[in-house]
Amino acid sequence: MADGPLRRLSTLRQSDGWIYTTMLVSALISLTASFVLSVDAIALAENPNAALACNINAVLSCGTVGVSWQASLFVFPNAFLGLIAEPVVITIAVASLGGVRFPRWFMCSAQVVYTLGLVFAYWLFFQAYFVIGALCPWCLLVTLSTTLVFTSLTHVNIRDGNLYLPPRANRAMQRFVRADLDALVVAIWLMAVVMLVMVKYGPMLV
Amino acid sequence: MSNRKNPQEQSNARSALRQQQAAQAKGEQRMKLATRIAWITGLLVIALMIGVTVWSVTNSRTVTATPAPGGVVTPRNAAEGGGILVGDTAAPVAVTVYADFMCPYCGQFEQVNGADLAAAVDAGSVKLEMHPMSFLDQQSGGTKFSTRAANAYATVANHDAAIALDFMKILYDNQPEEGSTGLTDTQLADFAKQAGAPADVAASFTKQTFVPWVQQVTENAFASGIESTPTVKVNGVIQTENLLVPGALKAAIDKAANG
Repeated sequence: MADGPLRRLSTLRQSDGWIYTTMLVSALISLTASFVLSVDAIALAENPNAALACNINAVLSCGTVGVSWQASLFVFPNAFLGLIAEPVVITIAVASLGGVRFPRWFMCSAQVVYTLGLVFAYWLFFQAYFVIGALCPWCLLVTLSTTLVFTSLTHVNIRDGNLYLPPRANRAMQRFVRADLDALVVAIWLMAVVMLVMVKYGPMLV
Repeated sequence: MSNRKNPQEQSNARSALRQQQAAQAKGEQRMKLATRIAWITGLLVIALMIGVTVWSVTNSRTVTATPAPGGVVTPRNAAEGGGILVGDTAAPVAVTVYADFMCPYCGQFEQVNGADLAAAVDAGSVKLEMHPMSFLDQQSGGTKFSTRAANAYATVANHDAAIALDFMKILYDNQPEEGSTGLTDTQLADFAKQAGAPADVAASFTKQTFVPWVQQVTENAFASGIESTPTVKVNGVIQTENLLVPGALKAAIDKAANG
């Protein structure tokens, strides 16, 4: 890495402040979107007639995402899961910003659970993209903010060696992260999601 | 420790250490190079993705904005309001329907109300103005099913308005799933023949004669404030009650005829 401003940026990015603040902000966004989606789910449950037409111009087009079976995979609206999970992430982030250090097993468990959440979020995204044929803006926001929470959590867990990896793998991952290559991966990842959305739905959004 | 070894061992140890350091330095250099390559590749990938995104958005926009070559050809029995008119022009009740052939709710509308509407048209109490729209082209995996179906409908209606409703019923009976590639041109032609269209009319769908007209109908619908499909007007008044309840539309028509 070049010296000077890039090096300073790199050091900043590896700091607790940066990582946990990213996590905190992303989790707050995720929580807000989950809240909106939950309220919508309740409204739709009260009056399913609200979804009796193909909406023009809204990216929330035909076959409203909200009434799809995928939206309530576990019988209750998926958004409720966000309401339950994100406050935990917010607490971890705030506590860490305050100097608290959680045990390895704790952070590793958080990583496992949140990875499941990430997989679920992306399953929903691809269902909406390929099967339902409609994107819900708030759902998309959840997809993106969940990604950011996941990547910041993974970053800090790698940096701190929380994942019980074998020593060589651990060293390699830590080198990867120190070289800021994880930031590059995240940038490519987010750009890929944006590209997918714009390629299919751009004309309807713009 | 080292002062107990003889000079030969010391120099061996030193050169071994130097070799190790040299190997390490080389390893680090390789790592730095690999990192640099990774960064450059990554940034290129991002630039490429930005390019694809921008291209797809601007490209698609121009595709929908320019009409197909040949200009707008209006079907013979186009109504003043812009749709296709079926039925007696002197009928007392005017029913206007804005629908897209891929819209599942429009399919349901047809299942619930199609027979009532067709009967009313035959009896001469309703003149039906149908606006076939194409805004769900995005949902047919690139085959633009909505446009093709609307064009087919316009072609059949242009030939013989009497069989237009039959063709529409068949199309909705065989409505493809939203998000699928829709019906093929061959299937559209076969269904048209089933409805009573002659073979040459069915074969002319691929000429896309009425595609610019369909685009115009779609844009005009947006401009006039239509927000969703199906939208149904009875004598110019948008019906807001649940049209998927059997008999609701019939009741509205009867009311308009007698009131």
